[in-house]
Amino acid sequence: MTAQTIQESKKGRRFRLWWQSVWSRFDDVPLLGWLVGALVAVGLEYAVGRPFAQLLGMRKSPALFGFLFILKEPWLIPSAIVYVAVMYILPIAAVAKVTAAVANKTAAAMLRISTLLSVAIHLVLLYAVLHIWTDVLPYRLIVVKLTLIAIVITLSLNVVNGYMGEFSCSHPGFISLGAYGASVVTILLFDDPGPWLFPLALIVGGIVAAIGALLVAIPSFRTRGDYLAIISLAFTFIIKSFMENMEFVGGPRGLGGQPNWASLPVVFVVTIIAIWVINNFVRSILGKALNAVRDNEAAADAMTVNTRRTKMTAFLFSAFWAGVAGGLLAHVLAFINPASFGLQKLAEVLAMVYFGGLNSVVGSIVGAVSLNLLGEMLRPLEIWKWIVIPLMLILMMIYRPTGLVAFKEFDIVALLQPKKTTKGDE
Amino acid sequence: MNKRVVVSILLLLVLSVLLTACGGGGSDVIRIGINAPLTGDNPKVGEGTKYAAEMWLEDINAAGGLDVGGKKYQVELVIEDNEYKAESATKANTKLITQDEVLLIIGPQSSQQAVPAGGVANDNKTPMISPWSTNPNTTKDRPWVFRTPFLDPFQGPVIANFAAEQFGATKAAVLYDVASDYPKGLAEFFKQAWEEKFGEGSVVAFESFTTKDQDFSAQLTKIKESGADFIFTPQYYSEVPLIVQQAHELGWDKPIVGSDSWGSAELVNLCGDDCDGLFFSTHYAAAGATGATKEFIDRYNAKYGYVPDDVGALTWDTLLIAQTAIQNCGKITGDLAVDRECVRDALANIKDFHGITGDMTFTPEGDPIKCAVIVRISDAGEFEFFKQVCP
Repeated sequence: MTAQTIQESKKGRRFRLWWQSVWSRFDDVPLLGWLVGALVAVGLEYAVGRPFAQLLGMRKSPALFGFLFILKEPWLIPSAIVYVAVMYILPIAAVAKVTAAVANKTAAAMLRISTLLSVAIHLVLLYAVLHIWTDVLPYRLIVVKLTLIAIVITLSLNVVNGYMGEFSCSHPGFISLGAYGASVVTILLFDDPGPWLFPLALIVGGIVAAIGALLVAIPSFRTRGDYLAIISLAFTFIIKSFMENMEFVGGPRGLGGQPNWASLPVVFVVTIIAIWVINNFVRSILGKALNAVRDNEAAADAMTVNTRRTKMTAFLFSAFWAGVAGGLLAHVLAFINPASFGLQKLAEVLAMVYFGGLNSVVGSIVGAVSLNLLGEMLRPLEIWKWIVIPLMLILMMIYRPTGLVAFKEFDIVALLQPKKTTKGDE
Repeated sequence: MNKRVVVSILLLLVLSVLLTACGGGGSDVIRIGINAPLTGDNPKVGEGTKYAAEMWLEDINAAGGLDVGGKKYQVELVIEDNEYKAESATKANTKLITQDEVLLIIGPQSSQQAVPAGGVANDNKTPMISPWSTNPNTTKDRPWVFRTPFLDPFQGPVIANFAAEQFGATKAAVLYDVASDYPKGLAEFFKQAWEEKFGEGSVVAFESFTTKDQDFSAQLTKIKESGADFIFTPQYYSEVPLIVQQAHELGWDKPIVGSDSWGSAELVNLCGDDCDGLFFSTHYAAAGATGATKEFIDRYNAKYGYVPDDVGALTWDTLLIAQTAIQNCGKITGDLAVDRECVRDALANIKDFHGITGDMTFTPEGDPIKCAVIVRISDAGEFEFFKQVCP
C-alpha cells in the first residue's frame, strides 16, 4: 500500500520534473512570441486543417479541440490528440522558440517607442488569431462572440461583488435593460438605421442600465450584505415583470430581428475597451477607495473617503458595462425575451465571477472564458454536465475560496515585457 | 525526449487511423439535426422529442436506410441539447449547420429557443422545422423555417366557437399567465374571437397571474362573481390542476376549457377526478385513436412506458414530413447547399400530408393549415376524441 503510493508519487514527481524541464525551455518566450506562434498555428489550420482532419478520419476540423465529439465517439480520441498536437501545440511551440530572440528584441523596441504601440500591435495579433481561428468554422465564431460578451458581464459584476465586496444580484436586470435599451434604439426608433448607430445604441443600453442601477441604489445603499442581495434580487424580478408587461417591446414574446451588427471585430473592440476602462477604474484612486470601503466602511469614512459617492459610482459604472454587454448580446442573438434574464442568468454570471476570482480583472477573464468553453465542450454530456460543472465549482470553493486568480492586479506593461533572463514564471 | 514525442505521435496516428477505420461511417449518410431541451427547465419536452426521434430512426434502420430516388442512405441523428436557453439554442443550431453539416434541423421546441435559432437557420440557408413553437416570429419572413403545430390565431377562434356551441355560453372568463408568452398570446386571441362573436364586454373577466403562482382564489372569486358561463385557461399541466381544484373548492360548477398545453399525461395524475369531463383543444387525441396515430401511441407506450404527449406526436409528424421532403427531392447530390435548397423547396410544396396530428399543407409563411381536435377528459382520466374542427 505505502510502497505503491510512494512509487506513484515518484512517478508524479518525475512527470512534474519532466513538465518543468519542458516548460523552462520556453521561459524566454515573450507574449509576442506566443501570439506569433498562435498566428502561425491558426494559419496552418486555415490552410490544411480540413484535409488533415479528414486524413485522421474526422469529417471536419474539431471545433473546440475535439471535445465536442470525443465524449460521444471515443474512438476518435487519438485523432483529436494528434490533430491538436500537430495543428496547435507543435507549431506554437516551435515558432515561439525559434522567434524568441527576435520577439524579445521587438517587444523591447516597441515598449521603448511607446506602450500604446506595443499594446496595439499585441491586440492586432490577438485579433488576427481569433479572426482566422473563427473563420475556419462559423460555430467557433458564435462561441467566441458569446465568450467575449461574457467577459464584459463578468468583469462588470466583479466591480461590485469583488472590488466593492457587496453581493449584488441585479446583474441580469441590468443586462436586460441594456439589451432592451439598445434594441429599442436599433429596431423601434429608426426606420432604416445604419451600422453607425450601433455604438450609440450600445451606449444608450448602458445608460438605461445605469439609470436602473440608480433606482436600485438609492433605496438599497442604506443596507449592506444580505439585505442588499435581497433588494438587488428583487430588482431582477421587477425588471423581468416590467418587460413582460411592456407591450411595445413584445411583452413575454420578446423582441426579435435586431440587425446583424455585432460582428467579431465589433464585439472584440467593445470587449477590449471594457477591459481597458474597467482595469483603469479599479486601479485608480476610486478603485482603491472601493477596496477601502469593502474592507472597513467606517474606517474608510474616517480616512475621508466619500463612501456613499464611491459606492454609487462603482455601482452605476458596473451597471453601465452590463448594459453594454446586454446590447451586444441582443444583437448577436437577434432575439431577446424577459425570461432569458432570470435566475438562471444570475447563477451563470455569479459562477463566472466566483470561479475566476474576486477582485481581479484577469480572474474575470479566466472565469468567463473557462466556464463558457467548458459549458460548450461538455454539452454532449447532457444532464451529466450539470453534475460535472457544479462539482467543479464546489471543489473550487473548498480549495480556492476566492476563485482561480483572485486579488491580482492586471499589469499590462509587465505582460508585454520581453523575457531575456530565465526567471521563473511570475 | 524529442524522439519519444515523435514516436508517441506516430503511434497515436497509427492508432487513430486504425480506430476510425472500424468506427467511421460511409459517405452515403444523411445527417439530421435535432435541437431539443434535454436539460434545463423543461426536460420532459426534450425527452419526448428524443424518444420520438429514436423511434423514427429505428424505422429507418429497419428498412435498411432512407430510400431517396432508388438509393438507400444511412440516416444519422445529431441530437444537441439547447438547455432551454436562447443562447445555447443559437450555438447548437450553428454547430449543427456548420460543424455537423446536417441536411435539415428538427426543433427547437419552445419559441424562446425557436425564434433565435430560426434566424441562424435562415441566415445559413438550412431548412428548419419546429414541431412545437407557436410564436409567429419563428417563421415570419424566414423562407427556410417551417413549423408543424397550428398557430394561436387559429386555436383561439376554435375554442371560442366550440364553447359557444357546446355550452350555449355568451359570457366568457379567461385566466392566464401574463408572464409566459404562449398563454398570454392565446388568451388574447381567444378574447378577440369571443368579442367578435358576442360583442364588446362579453369576456366578463380577463384575469391574469404570474408564472409559478400557486394561489388563484382571488382571480377565481372575481370570475365567479362576474357571472361567466365558463372559464378558459390556456395553462400548462402544472397549473391547471391547481386552478381546477381551487375553482371547485370555491363552488364553481360550470365548465373549464383549456388549450393544447393541457395535453400531458401528467395533467390527469395531478388533477385526479377534478378534471373529469373537461374539454380542451389539441393536436390529437390519444384515447380512442385509430390507424397510424394509435400505432404510434402504442409503440411509444410499450417502449418508454407512458402515453406520448403532443410534443412527441408533433415531433414524429415533423420527422415524417422531413422524410417526405427528402424523398420528394429525388436525389442527394452530396453538395449540401444544393440538397438543402432542394429539401426546402420540397417542404414548401408538401400538400395534404397525412400526419398523426392531422393532415397538413404549408402556407408560404411555413405555417401549416391543419385541423384541431377537441378532447374530453373521460371519467377514467383518458383524453377522448370529441370533435374535429377544421379551418
